[in-house]
Amino acid sequence: MSQAIEDFGLPVQGPISGQDTEQVEGRTPRQLFWLRFRQDKVAFVGLAVILLLTLTAIFAPVIADKVAHRGPNDQTLAREMTDEFGLPKGPNETYIFGADKAGRDLFVRVIYGARTSLLVAIVATGISVVIGVTLGMIAGFIGGKIDTIISRLIDVILSLPLLLFAIGIAAACSTSKEGCLGGRIKPGLGLVVFIIAAFSWPYIARIVRGNTLSIREKEFIEASRSLGARNSRIMFREVLPNLVAPIIIYATLIIPNNIIFEAALSFLGLGVPQKTPSWGRMLSDASRLLEVAPWMMIFPALFLVLTTLAFNLLGDGLRDALDPRAGR
Amino acid sequence: MPSKKNLWVVALLLVLSLVAAACGGTGDDAGQVDTPDTGEVTKGGVATWESEEFAFTNGFDPTGEYLGEAWAVMTNMLLRTLVSYPHVAGAPGNEIVPDLAEDLPEVSEDGLTYTFKLKEGIKFGPPVSREITSKDIEYAFRRIATESQVAQYANYYEGTIKGLEVGKDPGPGGIEGIETPDDKTIVFTLTKPTGDFLNRVAMPATAPIPEEVAKCFTKAGEYGRYLISSAGYMFEGSEDLDISSCDTMKPISGFNPTKSQVFVRNPDYDQATDEYRQNNIDGMEHRLNTNTNDFEQKVIAGDVDFVYTPTPATLRKFVQDPELKQRLYINPGDRTWYITMNLAEPPFDDIHVRKAANLIMDKEGLQRAWGGPTQGEIATHIIPDAMLNEALAEYDPYPSENHAGDEAAAKEEMKQSKYDTDGDGVCDDPVCEDVLQIGSNTPPNTDMLPVVESSLEKIGITLDSREVTDAYTPIQTVAKEVPISIRPGWGKDYPDAFTFVGFLFDSDFPCTGNYNYSLVGLTEEKAKECGIDMPDEPIPSVDKDIATCVDLTGEERLNCWAELDKKLMEEVVPWIPYLDAQVVFGTSPRVTKFEFDQFAGHVAWSNIALTEVANE
Repeated sequence: MSQAIEDFGLPVQGPISGQDTEQVEGRTPRQLFWLRFRQDKVAFVGLAVILLLTLTAIFAPVIADKVAHRGPNDQTLAREMTDEFGLPKGPNETYIFGADKAGRDLFVRVIYGARTSLLVAIVATGISVVIGVTLGMIAGFIGGKIDTIISRLIDVILSLPLLLFAIGIAAACSTSKEGCLGGRIKPGLGLVVFIIAAFSWPYIARIVRGNTLSIREKEFIEASRSLGARNSRIMFREVLPNLVAPIIIYATLIIPNNIIFEAALSFLGLGVPQKTPSWGRMLSDASRLLEVAPWMMIFPALFLVLTTLAFNLLGDGLRDALDPRAGR
Repeated sequence: MPSKKNLWVVALLLVLSLVAAACGGTGDDAGQVDTPDTGEVTKGGVATWESEEFAFTNGFDPTGEYLGEAWAVMTNMLLRTLVSYPHVAGAPGNEIVPDLAEDLPEVSEDGLTYTFKLKEGIKFGPPVSREITSKDIEYAFRRIATESQVAQYANYYEGTIKGLEVGKDPGPGGIEGIETPDDKTIVFTLTKPTGDFLNRVAMPATAPIPEEVAKCFTKAGEYGRYLISSAGYMFEGSEDLDISSCDTMKPISGFNPTKSQVFVRNPDYDQATDEYRQNNIDGMEHRLNTNTNDFEQKVIAGDVDFVYTPTPATLRKFVQDPELKQRLYINPGDRTWYITMNLAEPPFDDIHVRKAANLIMDKEGLQRAWGGPTQGEIATHIIPDAMLNEALAEYDPYPSENHAGDEAAAKEEMKQSKYDTDGDGVCDDPVCEDVLQIGSNTPPNTDMLPVVESSLEKIGITLDSREVTDAYTPIQTVAKEVPISIRPGWGKDYPDAFTFVGFLFDSDFPCTGNYNYSLVGLTEEKAKECGIDMPDEPIPSVDKDIATCVDLTGEERLNCWAELDKKLMEEVVPWIPYLDAQVVFGTSPRVTKFEFDQFAGHVAWSNIALTEVANE
């Protein structure tokens, strides 16, 4: 996470011109991006996997109903799918991924797990992008004391021991009905999203600040200032469009991190409640039964690896296409 | 951020390792379990035992220590009390026998005076190495009465022994009800006849303690690292403890709270004075190991001698492998595991909801979550059957087929609740939504949760479950107002049902550190003191019933407890009891004789035996 991806500013003010061609054909940055991106097969596979997973997540209830004929917390076959020691039985025709310790269908829970992972990752990433872009742009554009305050805040948050902090919040807010801060922080999905967003926005803010710093010195900004544009107009109409590329790249790359973070929190028992299927929680439950019930680990792990890999591949592809100057 | 290339390698490695793991075979048939015969007795060898943590409640200081495992070590290896138990399994293990005393005491006709005569020639271990006197026992009681020592079962003596009051300095004359006319005589005077007084003076806190050492440790638990032996073993390195002054004493090397406890033979011990401890082994080592799977495998391989309550996967191996099955020992645990419901918190302030919850609960599913029938029989009432001489063995006020829950009966019961306004047998009041439940974040609690949640959902109760490291603290704090918890279990302190119901349903409970989680007998004053609201429905009390039973002895006493159990189950309904636990031990092939200590519910360290092969 520490490797900063700096300097993604793409010029928007003019087409690339061929010197020796007779007919000069202008290409928009979007066309250029598409030209480069469609040649990247690996990134395309990543995109395809993400689309497939998203569809799976959206239609999880339909798939569960049509394919497995049961929900993620259905225990009607618990007696058949666990033995007298309460140990789960492996894949068979009814339970294609096998059962978990409570005799629930692992296949159904894994596809429902995609919902949790993607939901947490996308919502948390969305929040962190909004916070990160806003603060990063303000810091970079206005500078001075405001920049110092925001930059130090970023430093402070980045220096906090993330996992320990998360464990602390989750543990402290778990022993009463109200949770913490008068009911504002309660354990569960909301808290997980909050923790992840709270800790991932500084990465975006840093990148955005760096880019804003360089963009604000460009001629076209000076031009618009000389035409009498207000700061807010310059920030939103001139600077922000130039930040789109780094934001997209970084958001795509931060999603897999957030998926892993949700899994880690759930693995430690600090994530979503057990009735909400989560890959991290499944891995945690599987870890002590690896020897007798390896399927409990294989399937959630496979999906987790696949998802994070797909997002990473797509992110790398986007970076290559949007910013050809950045070497791999 | 890892590079694309690295990610591929990581993914490949993960998949490969998972495939490799998947190749392990599993079997499905489980055999019947029974306790194998004990083998020949040989002397020698050092027994080893590994566990995840020392769960000591008071740093291994006998005055306040409340952990069964610690009691097993103390009463078998380190401490002798006036009377004790024979350190064997089953009913014979519950019999009171003289230990430090020459014989059972003389009891006055009014049942108020108990006179004990001590045996000659019993010494403290090194470095004290002097004859034990009645004053050393009296000193142990003075420590029980010292508030800063936090004697966790002081209530067995306070109000029973004349003049013994925690936090009250008895003055130079000592506690009024304890006299020591000479070094070998101790006389107790009680305030009321107490049928189980001998059980109370068999508790480890009443064992003699040398004042010259213990006076230096005034805070709770401190003395645990300086414990001076009065029985067959002692901490390794005890002889190096310099007791010339308080400043020179450094913790005994044989007890490292983050690593291990090591016990060796006590050179000052005289076997001729002890009828009930064979002391076959040369020593014992209890080591910490946070990797459960690792130490379970070590026991199977023979590198460690004992595993206490193996995990389901290991248990299955022990049961299904004919060789391993010979090394599996199962005994009654005198312990009930239960779900507690708070009588002051909606929706459980309504008795019909509590009854419906009992009827709907899939107890067989909970038993499975624990690892199946080997871990215990399904409990249908509060006091373990073995402690009531099976008087309630057939009693089940909330029956269902295979104990899987009776939805029809539960709904019928729920219809009578004020929280089911439309009378369809499903709670429709908002108080049934997201009811706070606090449980542990480790198995079996984590495995029980799906069963509990899906059971209660059938009658319209949904839980907002929190899984925390320490679930006991919030549920023991009355002001936290936790409506339901799947965490609790209770084991007897000594073989009398008083240690179950007397402790758990007494209305005079503290606001923190409370064991009456259901708040049975909650009064207006108590609610105010603890800072909670009194519910609309009156809360029943069983204080009078407890007082009645305490005065009785013998068969009458037993029947009284059984009747009280029934009353609790039908008229109060504070719990959903689900498991009458058994204690399961797996052993290494080195263990030639296994013995279970029925009092402590753990290994009878003084009566086991190993092959002579020394272990590394």
